[in-house]
Amino acid sequence: MMIARRKAFQIRVIAVLALRNLRRQVRRTLLTATAIILGAGMLVFSNAIGDGTHEQWIDDGVRTGSGHATIEHPAFRMSRKLEDRLAADVRAVAEAALATPDLADRVTGVSAQLTISGMASSAAGARPAHILAVDPQAEVDFTNLDDQVIEGRYLQSDDRLAAFVGVGLVETLDLRLGSRLVLTAQDTNKEIVGQLVRVVGVFRNGAPPVDNTVVHIPLAIAGEWLGSGDDVSKIAVMVEDSTEVSSLVRRLRQALADPVDAGRVTVLGWREAMPALASLVAVDQFGSYVIFAILFVIIGFGIVNTVLMSVLHRHREFGVLQALGLTPRQTGAVVLLEGLLLTTVSTLVGVGLGTWLTWYFLGDGFDMAVIAGDSLANNMEMGSVVIDPIIIPMFSVARTLQTIGWIMLIGILASIYPALRATRIDIAESMKFDQ
Amino acid sequence: MTPDDMRRDVRTENLWKIYQQASEEVQAVRDVTLTIQPGEFTALAGPSGSGKTTLLNLIGGLTRPTRGQVRVADHELSKLPNHVLARLRLNQIGFVFQAYNLLPVLTARENAEFPMLLQGVSAEERTRRVDELFARTGMEGLEDRRPGKLSGGQQQRVAVVRAVASKPALVLADEPTANLDSASSDALLDLMDELNRDLGVTFVFATHDERVMERSRRLIRMVDGRIDSDVIRVG
Repeated sequence: MMIARRKAFQIRVIAVLALRNLRRQVRRTLLTATAIILGAGMLVFSNAIGDGTHEQWIDDGVRTGSGHATIEHPAFRMSRKLEDRLAADVRAVAEAALATPDLADRVTGVSAQLTISGMASSAAGARPAHILAVDPQAEVDFTNLDDQVIEGRYLQSDDRLAAFVGVGLVETLDLRLGSRLVLTAQDTNKEIVGQLVRVVGVFRNGAPPVDNTVVHIPLAIAGEWLGSGDDVSKIAVMVEDSTEVSSLVRRLRQALADPVDAGRVTVLGWREAMPALASLVAVDQFGSYVIFAILFVIIGFGIVNTVLMSVLHRHREFGVLQALGLTPRQTGAVVLLEGLLLTTVSTLVGVGLGTWLTWYFLGDGFDMAVIAGDSLANNMEMGSVVIDPIIIPMFSVARTLQTIGWIMLIGILASIYPALRATRIDIAESMKFDQ
Repeated sequence: MTPDDMRRDVRTENLWKIYQQASEEVQAVRDVTLTIQPGEFTALAGPSGSGKTTLLNLIGGLTRPTRGQVRVADHELSKLPNHVLARLRLNQIGFVFQAYNLLPVLTARENAEFPMLLQGVSAEERTRRVDELFARTGMEGLEDRRPGKLSGGQQQRVAVVRAVASKPALVLADEPTANLDSASSDALLDLMDELNRDLGVTFVFATHDERVMERSRRLIRMVDGRIDSDVIRVG
């Protein structure tokens, strides 16, 4: 009973000393606390912005390209040829798999596309064209080009000889709404065949390779034109966010095990389908980690500085504490607790601040134009992907807990050295210091 | 610690303390053999640098001897690890320092209660002892003041209360009157004399103060780290 009470009292003494010492040097404590609060807040907010940015890049990229996951012929990625397409029976199996409740619940968009490399010509001339034959109804949920219409409209289900054309191509070929346009490409028999279409809409994406070459036409007309019937080059699949991709790919591979094994189809995640975008995200993440590491070092030095200065100024006091019966370990505990209290309270306040900032921008997003300037922000393009300058932050509990964990770890590490110094003082020598 | 331990004497045997100061060796305490009986009121006198404070620090376990032994309550201090030494200081030894050395973040009462808190003494008992000693030292009403709001004499009285409230067998006081005016010094010496007589607490002072020497019942003079004279006076 007596021992338990003594222990409890000793813990109380250590806690009281630590708390009061923090209050004693209010300015120094507040300065360090502010640094930790701002650091923690910035970490949480910039993590949310960074994750949101990457999600935005990925979203913009997959909508322009292959979806979060793509089902295609194994040779198509390299050849980009019509002959390396998914046969109608394989497409049917894949679409049936995507319609099962297990996958349908996760999937937010599916678009079967036939990718054709060809030429677009008008009376004004001819230009290379990247022709994408799509199911207009499915594509509306998938692409973001329908939001970039500057004239006319996007394709509709009942369209037949319609084309939705990039503004660059429209200007080069001197086209306008209703103009006739001839698309030429190799058919399934390797014969050059042409198809007349009319411009129903013009879009401006912002990425020159897209604006200058892309033409969307209905999938049905492409099947007739090229003799490919219901065959497609790929089926692009979208999910809610990129964190679900690996599980989606795994399930799709399981569902399509037979044609996959037969070498008739392959399932790729966006990282494999768009390695350039994956590298860009990885490089940007690495850059963020470097900045975070610098922030952690600054926070660490702040804590070391405060706690160590406080130890150096209280050399005599630690001597007195030990002369009065505090053990060296208990003296170290006072210092360690000071560092921990400072770190814990400041981190929680900082995380609260960062979370509030994240929440504040959650609705309307954070406009990168504020940082990048309007002209730059309106032309943010990576590869052939135009990036929306409005970033919606992505709050993650796991990320936030990770941030708290890292700062706490740094707080502990930064307090260990000053605490060790406090344990190792020479009591008699410390008493010689002037008050 | 048994009650018997509390009554044991303090002994030093062939005690040496040698410091290395730059390239020079300083023999602060040289071959001191000494016994202090329980209940003594002893002054260690001598000029600056004679080794009084070092001897006091050795007896209090604040520094370790280069050679020789210090025994307090039958414990050979140089053989004890730091944490055991800290426990021994907590339970057996009270300190009064020249510069008071109160903890600035604690109030007068909290300072006085500090060793008792570490000992695990109950709140009621701590309050009773501190109230009684504050009443005896004229510190009533100043319990909640921080050291910065107390005069030198008041701070030293709190330091004395802190040193004796935990009921140590031995109180070591290093120049306790050095920073006090004569009235405060006399009052403090009266208090320590009273505590020595009433509670049987052993007091050992390191001092240059003639008044302390006059009030002591044993006067040990030190010169160059050695005991020059050791006189027991009838008082």
